[in-house]
Amino acid sequence: MKLYKKEGNILQILGFPTENAEKGDYLLVEDQDSSRALIAQVIDIQFAAVPGVLEELLRTLPDGGEPIQGEDIDPMEIAPHITYIQDASLLVCKIRATLENNLLSPSSSWLPSRSQSLVKKLSIPMLLKLADINGKLPIILGGTKDSSLLTIDASTIDGTLNIITGKKGCGKSHLSKLLMSSLIGYKATVVVFDLNGEYSYIGMTQDGKRNMYYDKIHVLVPSCNFKVALDQLHLNVVMGILVHALHLPGTSSREFRRVWKQLKEKGRLTLNDLGEEIRNLKCNQHVRDALTSRFHSLVNSGFFTDAHAEATLLEEYLLKSKEQGGAIIVNLRNTSTIDRQIVVEYVLGKLVESLQSWKLKAVFLFAEEAHLYLRETYWDDIVTRMRHFGIFTTFITNQPDTIRESIYRQADNIFLFNFTNEHDLDVVSRASRVDAETVRSIARDLPPRHCLTLGRVVRDFPIVTRVRALDLKTMGETRLFFKNLN
Amino acid sequence: VIEQYTITTTPKYNFPQLALNTRLPQQFLEQSLISLNQVQNTKFFNTNQQQFLQYHTIEHQPSRLQINPTPISVKPNYQETTIAAVDTSTIKIGETCTGIIVGIRGATVWKQNRKYQYTRLGPFIFHITEENKKDVYKTLERAYFTNSYEMVHQSAPSLMQMPTRLASLLERWMQIMMAKTIADGLILLDGSLTCGTSDTPVHRMKEILFQARRNNSTVLAFSKMTTLRANGYLITDQLPNGDPPYLLETTGLQFKPPTVLLGDVYVARLNKTNYAFRLDIDRSTAFTQRLEAIEKLVGNDLYKQVYPETLRLAHILCTFTANEVIAMQHFITRKHGIQLINRPDMHRLLFGPFGRGETYS
Repeated sequence: MKLYKKEGNILQILGFPTENAEKGDYLLVEDQDSSRALIAQVIDIQFAAVPGVLEELLRTLPDGGEPIQGEDIDPMEIAPHITYIQDASLLVCKIRATLENNLLSPSSSWLPSRSQSLVKKLSIPMLLKLADINGKLPIILGGTKDSSLLTIDASTIDGTLNIITGKKGCGKSHLSKLLMSSLIGYKATVVVFDLNGEYSYIGMTQDGKRNMYYDKIHVLVPSCNFKVALDQLHLNVVMGILVHALHLPGTSSREFRRVWKQLKEKGRLTLNDLGEEIRNLKCNQHVRDALTSRFHSLVNSGFFTDAHAEATLLEEYLLKSKEQGGAIIVNLRNTSTIDRQIVVEYVLGKLVESLQSWKLKAVFLFAEEAHLYLRETYWDDIVTRMRHFGIFTTFITNQPDTIRESIYRQADNIFLFNFTNEHDLDVVSRASRVDAETVRSIARDLPPRHCLTLGRVVRDFPIVTRVRALDLKTMGETRLFFKNLN
Repeated sequence: VIEQYTITTTPKYNFPQLALNTRLPQQFLEQSLISLNQVQNTKFFNTNQQQFLQYHTIEHQPSRLQINPTPISVKPNYQETTIAAVDTSTIKIGETCTGIIVGIRGATVWKQNRKYQYTRLGPFIFHITEENKKDVYKTLERAYFTNSYEMVHQSAPSLMQMPTRLASLLERWMQIMMAKTIADGLILLDGSLTCGTSDTPVHRMKEILFQARRNNSTVLAFSKMTTLRANGYLITDQLPNGDPPYLLETTGLQFKPPTVLLGDVYVARLNKTNYAFRLDIDRSTAFTQRLEAIEKLVGNDLYKQVYPETLRLAHILCTFTANEVIAMQHFITRKHGIQLINRPDMHRLLFGPFGRGETYS
């Protein structure tokens, strides 16, 4: 390989057919005279602009006919050299760092010698070693192209905002399960908003046996095994539900707050008493109607109960997970849109409450297709305010445009699967730790189950990984009509 | 007794396969390797100029050349006829301290059963110096001649003439092979039937025509450009009004010895575009056969590009493209350890930006 051109932080390297370099590979451009080297990643492969190639291709076509057939008698065997030149490639590479005295710096401000520089492939294990990506709390993401393992440090997910995105069926949920189970292994507390009920059997192996996570997985199904009694609720949590999930207006909210406090003082904070109180409330008719309709929504959700035996103490699960690590899976599969929002408001409210009171240290929140249940204002809340309380979120979506631009800008890690749609790639490329060319070029060609890892976990060296298999009952497969039909 | 050549059917095409005389290509290869081995591990300068072989005989202006203004009408004859053509090209791919490095390649194209097919021979790369040019040329020429011919005394060409002379040897050899191989067909030559020059001795051209006649084929030689004039005007510019295709007959063309013309010269306008070519047809061919040959050519070969497609393809296929030149430079660097360096451009060195015009001219 030969260094051809440098423009900004883009290098163009001339490659020959015998030198196999693919998108995503790393190259080391060593300038021995200056004892420095550039680390560059191949983001695109093009044909080198060899003069005369067009003529070469055109001349086998007669005037208006089929390609002309023939025989080349080439006793000096020059044809392989012609092919060699014709197939020369131009590797468009993005400079990722400068290596000097075994230390990496993100600089690309120097120019290596074009004639003297030695260009060679940099293996992923070598890159991981140079960048010190392996950590004390390893999470094996999968295998890289040169058959080495990509191992990230769990601490690099700590305190971060992560996005897992890619088109349908390329392995997003699989990766999130891998991260989730690895975090549980390190005794972390994980909360999952499971939209499709695919995390429920994560405590089982593929053949239905219990696995090491079995006792650490707590699946909560709203209205079934996940109900709350009103007197277990803090007023702020209820107000959050009413205002954000049920859109209760301000005047009515004030009235509700007064009713709630009265009932609490009397020790009668039950659904029955709340309903009765609202019915008998002497106030504006519109306010009473508003409160009545919200009350019925709460009752109809089935999520609230007066029977303490039925009520589930979320805090207990959280505390249990705090000791040994564990995951609370909130299964939202059979929950209606409004009820989903009620449940999410409740869970998030409870989490903030527990974190504020230091009952919990930190929580890793995995949110699948969060736009379906997260209210507008929560997005910024989650990435800014709640992060300081210790909620570290991982968004998983196949519709990247449903996540706000501000979230991308603050994302610390992006696990990017295949996208072919330009619009989707544009959205993802807004992330501040990502350069648009890399995303557009590499993500488009990623095969299924291959993920481009970007951000803090890989020290800003984008690496393509084939996500490793998990022996978990994943339940994420799409139900098919024609499957096993014959 | 009519001598009959072996016809071999191959999966690729049904083309008469003669037991080919391979002495010349073998000699080309041997001489090429010998010449390149003489310059191993040296440096050469990167210059390349391509030359296509067209035999521009110095045609002294014959004062009596006349054109018959009455067009001979040509009616396309669609009877299946094999049409074949040969062309060669040579390119200087570099200079060494002692000589030049050239590449030579030839192409034969034929149309049979409505399909064009080709055979390309080469490229052959030679390092030619003042010291080896005589040996290279004589060895190849000896290989060219069959036992029935005597070597004609000739001095070795100058160094600068060597590329075209070597290509000429290859082209004439390929033409004679074609003439020996094709029966009842049309053989198209690039150039004229003028001979008696240093690169086309009379006996060589006669051999081609003889072999073609023996196989009942007709030789048609097309010149892309001509210097022949009648009444002061180029013969190809004096086109009468009339619907093409047609031929115009010329008379009175004579050359001073030793130059000899073995054909009759016509002006051929073969399609509606306003271009015409000089066309030489073997003088020993009867007029009816000449006309029939032209009619078969018009009926069988494509004429979208004014020029016979077979001949056009032969030219295109032998031409060296820029990437082939790079590949040949790569070959001699890798295989023979000859290092490519750029010769300083004296015009640019002396005159700076003002030297550019001369450099690129």
